[in-house]
Amino acid sequence: MQKNKKDEWSFAWLGALCLVLRTPTDTVRAAPICDNGQASCQVLSLADLFDRVIQHSSRMHGMSNDLHSQFEQYFLPSRNHISNRVNRNCHTSGILTPNGKENAQRLAVKELTEVILKLLWAWRDPLWHFHQSMAHHDDFNSFSSNKALVMGDLVHELRTGVEKVAEKMQNLGIISNLVNGLRSPEQLLPSPVRPQWSLMNDYDLLFCLRRDSNKVQSYLKILKCRIVPENDC
Amino acid sequence: MGRAVGTALLFLTLLNTATSETDYSPPGRPKLTSCLSRDKETFTCWWAPSDRDDALQTTYALYYLKESSDVVYTCPDYRTAGANSCYFNKNNTSIWVNYNITVAATNAHGSNFSEPVVVDVAYIVQPHTPENLTVVVLGDKDGTFFRVSWESPRKADTRSGWITLIYELRAKLDGADWEEHFAGQQKMFNIFSLRSGGTYRIQVRCKPIHGFWSEWSPTVNVTAPYALPLGSSMWILIAFFSALIFLLLTWILNVKSHSVKHCLFPPVPGPKIRGFDKQLLKNGRSEELFNALGVPGLPPMTHPNYEDLLVYLEVSGRDESELLLADANDPTIAATTEGGKSPNSPSDSDSGHGSCDSHTLLMEKCGEGEEVKEEQEEEQQGDGVAVGRSYGGKQRWERRGSWERNQKGDDDQEMTEGRVKTWPCVFAPLEEYAGSKALDHGSTLGTARLLCSSVHSIPLLLPTPATSPSGLHALEQLHWQPYSRSESTIQSPEHKHRRQQGGGKTTTTTTTTATTATKLTDVAWPAQPRSPFRATEYVEVQRVNQENMMVLRPLSSAQGQREGAPQGEVDYSRVKGLNSGDGLLLQRAVDAETQEEVEEGQEEEEYPCDIQEKNSLLGDERYTAPPAVPGQMTGAGKLSMGLPTAVSLQGDTILAANGYVDTAVAMMPTH
Repeated sequence: MQKNKKDEWSFAWLGALCLVLRTPTDTVRAAPICDNGQASCQVLSLADLFDRVIQHSSRMHGMSNDLHSQFEQYFLPSRNHISNRVNRNCHTSGILTPNGKENAQRLAVKELTEVILKLLWAWRDPLWHFHQSMAHHDDFNSFSSNKALVMGDLVHELRTGVEKVAEKMQNLGIISNLVNGLRSPEQLLPSPVRPQWSLMNDYDLLFCLRRDSNKVQSYLKILKCRIVPENDC
Repeated sequence: MGRAVGTALLFLTLLNTATSETDYSPPGRPKLTSCLSRDKETFTCWWAPSDRDDALQTTYALYYLKESSDVVYTCPDYRTAGANSCYFNKNNTSIWVNYNITVAATNAHGSNFSEPVVVDVAYIVQPHTPENLTVVVLGDKDGTFFRVSWESPRKADTRSGWITLIYELRAKLDGADWEEHFAGQQKMFNIFSLRSGGTYRIQVRCKPIHGFWSEWSPTVNVTAPYALPLGSSMWILIAFFSALIFLLLTWILNVKSHSVKHCLFPPVPGPKIRGFDKQLLKNGRSEELFNALGVPGLPPMTHPNYEDLLVYLEVSGRDESELLLADANDPTIAATTEGGKSPNSPSDSDSGHGSCDSHTLLMEKCGEGEEVKEEQEEEQQGDGVAVGRSYGGKQRWERRGSWERNQKGDDDQEMTEGRVKTWPCVFAPLEEYAGSKALDHGSTLGTARLLCSSVHSIPLLLPTPATSPSGLHALEQLHWQPYSRSESTIQSPEHKHRRQQGGGKTTTTTTTTATTATKLTDVAWPAQPRSPFRATEYVEVQRVNQENMMVLRPLSSAQGQREGAPQGEVDYSRVKGLNSGDGLLLQRAVDAETQEEVEEGQEEEEYPCDIQEKNSLLGDERYTAPPAVPGQMTGAGKLSMGLPTAVSLQGDTILAANGYVDTAVAMMPTH
């Protein structure tokens, strides 16, 4: 009896320890962005914020790229099947995104920021569903499943970061108030063309994810070099 | 539009295949080799014609489709990128759009399409090589390194952040493999750990984050400078080893410190006296100290002056009768003695010469020939044993063997008693007798002059050597009584006995003059009536007869007689020694003295006997001081106070040309 109790205690203790100490390896723990007036927090500059979000976007893109390639290798060995499909509609196709450097530079900061936010918001639900679907697949290794889970966190944190950047920029007077309603993805896409992300297969989802993360990363970099040009630019 | 084109193409291919039968075949299938973008804004596709095709007659066309569109586009630019290429400019390039590209080879007989390739420009970026690769040698003598710097390729727009490039460089020594270094997004890199004097080749390339690596830049050659052989590490090694050696030396020195000290600073030898004990000195026991120092067997005292030891006996003779020193028992003595002194009469006929105790002592000594010998021997030895010689220190006297010898059994006593001393007067009590002085002061006595006041015949003195010497010191024995003329020094034998006994009982304290040293008066004076005071006469030893007797001859002619003054000069000779025939060897004296001086000397001299009388011992009978001899030759009576020379002289004593010995001494009969 005592031995069982001891085991229970040890397990409970271990569990508590794990909970406390568990740090997702791929999660970027960003320092809390402080509100104005809070002295205990570390106040970040816009440049620092941008650097952080850019790091996040890079990480997101890297992870999405890995997921796509793994999926492609595992499930779709024949390349023709993928490459023949020219029309691939992502559910985020409705979001007008600049597809060139000049186009991106022609957009205003505010609009560009809004695009970024729209994209990030559009991917919150599909990623969660994707993770759920990946978990049920036995043939998909746990590593990818874990990566899908981490993807959702990343997108979430990136979105939060970009929102903080936007807020900072608004405070700095760089941009005016953002459009509210960015959060509802249904409003972003035109209704007739709006694909349903639920209808997409997993492969297309990963494909689209990879592209959108790339876009976000690029847009953020352009924003950064336009707003806070430093040695990196 | 695309479909129309497609159907037309199909028709053409059919035609081609149809026409191919007439020796003309359509071209082979081209193949798109690659499509690359250099800056993520434009891109170029290259194709390769089939081998079978004849380049002259085959034309190629590129067609592409964009994502989510059915429009077939053809290549806008076939020339910019070279042959068999298609260059898409910025206007025709869309990022994040899939391009479906196909190349069609067409000849007179037909056309052929390549397989389509789907590309997304965002993922086919391969920039140019970095530009302006420069290597600078930096660093000091302690270490040199390369600073490699470059610039991004011209076309890649990293300024706007459109492209993010990462760089990589590699270096290679001659004969070694490439060493690659990842530089990240920076455009500068330091290479350390260079081999001095080595030549390096350095290249750099770049890559976008999701793209392809560029080609390696052209090689830059650089030579590392020669480093100094003695770097800081070398100095550290040298310092370490020197410290080690230093520690070793100090350890060795420590171990051998004693010997080194001995070598460098030789110890100063301190004074060392064998047998010298510092502790004894510290304790203040000098006696023991000196005892330790002294060689056993040696007398503790320094060698005394022989002169001081000598006792000069002046024998005053009436006439030139010979004075014989012989044993009392010796019949010859009795025969030769003048005046028919009874040998047995202990009394001294002398007027008072023998009043001093020491006189008696002397007589005791002289009572036996052996004693004389002994005395002489002792004198010779400088023992200080000379009769009457009061040498400082009772020890000396105690050690005198003569006295001990004198303490022989009663035989001596009897002998002495029976002997007839030929001493007319053995001891001359002199005021200036140094003996008493010596007695008082314990200083060395000068020659104890024993002068005989009256000399008709040498009175026999029969000292009792037995008793007197016992415990008696010369000093005591030299207690001369004041020589009073009137007094008679002759005492009865009983008196003498007592005297002697008393003398015998006297303590050995030298300083106490009260000791009842046997006085001369105790000595058995000859029974002759006290003769009037007579000045002393000096006898000359003529010879020694067979009986070991010294034949004396008075020296009346030597000096004029004076009243109250010494009859003659007192000449004292030192006894050199005994010859083989038991004869006295006398030393000739050279100095001569005036009588006045003698007189003076005499006057100067104290009268030992008087002193003795004053300091008479407790219980001692008063001795009748023998008549003082006025002029007792001072010279003779002089006691050389501490003078070593036996020839007494304080001042100058006049001595006869001939060395004259005090006959008193000489007259001591020998056994």
